[in-house]
Amino acid sequence: MKRIGAVHEFNAKSVRGVIGGVLGGLAAIALGATLIVGEAAAQSSGQRVVIGETYIPTIWVDPDGCEHWVMDDGWEGYMTPHVNRQGIPVCRRGNVCGEMHSDQLFATNSANISASGRKHLAKFFQTTGAISYIITGHTDSRASDQYNLDLSYRRATAVASIAAANGARIADVRGYGERQPKASNNTAAGMQKNRRVEIICIR
Amino acid sequence: MKFLKLSILLPAVVAVAACGTKIDKTVDRGIDSKHLSQLQAGIWVDPNGCDHWIIDDGAEGYLSQRLDPYGKPVCSGTAPPNTATGAFKSGSPVPDPI
Repeated sequence: MKRIGAVHEFNAKSVRGVIGGVLGGLAAIALGATLIVGEAAAQSSGQRVVIGETYIPTIWVDPDGCEHWVMDDGWEGYMTPHVNRQGIPVCRRGNVCGEMHSDQLFATNSANISASGRKHLAKFFQTTGAISYIITGHTDSRASDQYNLDLSYRRATAVASIAAANGARIADVRGYGERQPKASNNTAAGMQKNRRVEIICIR
Repeated sequence: MKFLKLSILLPAVVAVAACGTKIDKTVDRGIDSKHLSQLQAGIWVDPNGCDHWIIDDGAEGYLSQRLDPYGKPVCSGTAPPNTATGAFKSGSPVPDPI
């Protein structure tokens, strides 16, 4: 990709008053010839000419710890979340405030929470004091993808119902099944880490 | 009071406008120059009930989606839809007449 530096001046969009406009117009006429020559050369070499301005952002970190691209154009300000190409936000710290090991809450293939698990969760939601919670269920990779999506959702829902019973506000409940592993499913220890219910605290 | 603020702000704005193309987009130039990482955000709740970071930095305003670690919108219920909360106007000493 080729960028022509000289194009900047007359392509700039902000208001610069009458004098700026006239000067810009003259510059455009003067640069027009150069641009056509540049385009012809670029086309013959198989490149594409891009007419644009350089806009290099900086990073603003939100109170959750996640990055946003930000630019100040003099008059205008621009901002958009910094996400990777999969749409996952780039964050410097997480807001997962509670992680429950499924083995401690549930029997295998069950979404019923044990009595001790209920007590533990009730205390957690009574003392954490977040504005709301996002609860996501996860499994290891045994059994089918569809089964795991369903099981993880039922388990997340079971945790959410205890949260709601203890006065917590639930922003969302999701089951990701085996699709978001945090460890390898090739070892027993890894699979145990993947069987979990994550609680995200929104503050 | 509003007229007084405008009379301070307008000449300053004209002075900024005269400076030509702004090369470095990562600093707030002019009246309160600072690096943009210093911005103070509040929360704006959209009509669907989902959160956005809102920043009123004097002349510039910024709005950017609040996302959870999976990239989904955060709809926290911290305020009713169409409401802005928090100290999002506190990051700049520049008066905002509007």
